Amino acid sequence: MRLVIDPTRCHGHGTCAQLLDEYIRLDKWHYPIVAKQKVSVSHADLLRRAAQLCPELAISIVDE
Amino acid sequence: MIESVSASIMAPTGPRRLSLGWESAQRPVPSGRVAFVSDLSARPRLVMPLAEHVAAYGRLPGGLTMRMVLDTLRAANLTGRGGAGFPFWKKLQAVATAESRKSPVVIANGSESEPLSKKDALLLKNNPHLVLDGISLVAGMLGAKSAYLYVKDREAHTAVNAAIRERRERGISELRVTIVEAPAGYVAGQETAVVRRIGKGPALPQFSLDRISSSGLRGAPTLLSNVETFAHVAMILRFGAEWYRQGGQGGDRGTRLLTLVGAVGRPGVYELSPGASLAELLREADASDPRAVLFGGYFGRWIDLGAPNTAKFPLDDQALAEHKLSFGAGILGVVGRETCPVVEAAAITEYLAGQSAGQCGPCVHGLPEISTAMARIALSSDVERGMHDLRSVIPLVEHRGGCQHPDGVIQLVRSTVGAFAEEVKLHRSGRCSAQGSHTSVLLPPGASVGTGGAG
Ligand code: SF4
Ligand code: SF4
Repeated sequence: MRLVIDPTRCHGHGTCAQLLDEYIRLDKWHYPIVAKQKVSVSHADLLRRAAQLCPELAISIVDE
Repeated sequence: MIESVSASIMAPTGPRRLSLGWESAQRPVPSGRVAFVSDLSARPRLVMPLAEHVAAYGRLPGGLTMRMVLDTLRAANLTGRGGAGFPFWKKLQAVATAESRKSPVVIANGSESEPLSKKDALLLKNNPHLVLDGISLVAGMLGAKSAYLYVKDREAHTAVNAAIRERRERGISELRVTIVEAPAGYVAGQETAVVRRIGKGPALPQFSLDRISSSGLRGAPTLLSNVETFAHVAMILRFGAEWYRQGGQGGDRGTRLLTLVGAVGRPGVYELSPGASLAELLREADASDPRAVLFGGYFGRWIDLGAPNTAKFPLDDQALAEHKLSFGAGILGVVGRETCPVVEAAAITEYLAGQSAGQCGPCVHGLPEISTAMARIALSSDVERGMHDLRSVIPLVEHRGGCQHPDGVIQLVRSTVGAFAEEVKLHRSGRCSAQGSHTSVLLPPGASVGTGGAG
């Protein structure tokens, strides 16, 4: 699975970085930097939750 | 391989192919491999009516198959003329083979969102039928159900409209081309912004996991290319790949339209044959004492003419690639001794930062910081800090936009501090080599930027 954030939608609330601290850190403007795109299967549920909780629906999960 | 279709038509030779029949006020006979075709007013000298167009270029070739078209365009090695320089046949193949239930869509982009560019409007005003021929051929091959021409310039709009009517009245049976007006704004010409606007949305870039060749306008496979590319397609499918390449090998050997601006005596649109040197072009444009050239437009790269042998290399895309340059959107900006290229770049950066579509955090926050850093360097106010800030901000912005805009700005900034390291050094000591005032010759007319904010 791969984690992709649509930068045109993201408003930098940072909810995702709290849930997915292994994968996402925030830059100095509080926008997410995806440090690791590939998400391990064991974190799939967490990723799905983060995608649901993003207020802008900016997070997509790409299955590959 | 395709034979030249009409024996009665002489294929145009020399640099004047797209600009065949355009009257040039100053120099009617082109010299060598560079043809001056219009000044920057880009007024049409002659809108070529359909009958004359057919007399000059011949009828639309018939009996083509997709295989023939792909092979011919591949042999011609035609690359897109809007900026990215992607091989056109690959684009066509991607759309032709896209797995989709929807019929393909063809879009010719004539919006020319680079504010210095004039070539596309000029082409549409003088030679609308050549562009429409290209759209017609490509749309026909793809079995497209709709075709669009995206255009900003008012006169170009009028000329194309009249040409479409003329074709219908003369009974040319082809897919009707819909004209869509492009709004002003730098990012309105970005690929996804064009698709959105034609889909009746805002002309803003959109993030997508799919390429438009598989899912573009309303989810249909979409072929989008610059209007000049379509004009070349119309000629290549008439006269063949060999004619297009003029016997040359390697790279895209066709002619190209360039808008040449800045510190030259004769700014305007030129049609250039590959192999002409930069020196030849600058001579033709009456550049009296050129110092540097910005290649490709605002997202371009510099060449410092003070470096050895720079003006001698041939202007073809292979030689350019060796210098890490490209024709980009077909714009060459010349800087002389009056202004400083670093100040020019800082002014352009400020302009571009103001053109952000305001959608993505790193672009919205990062570009103003990059612009401020460039201003510090340009104005010799705090070069050290400016360079430091560039190093820290660029990694936070690069590849993090929803479109190419921030990366284009970064390319310009990197090229500036790279090509003019000596000038930057001079600025460190509070000096600047510009002999004139600190104004810019490369800013769009009417743009007001102060290279301020560096206080
Ligand atoms: S939760 Fe959504 S909007 Fe907030 S920072 Fe993450 S991706 Fe952006
Ligand atoms: S990167 Fe900048 S210009 Fe491009 S979509 Fe995002 S905000 Fe708009």
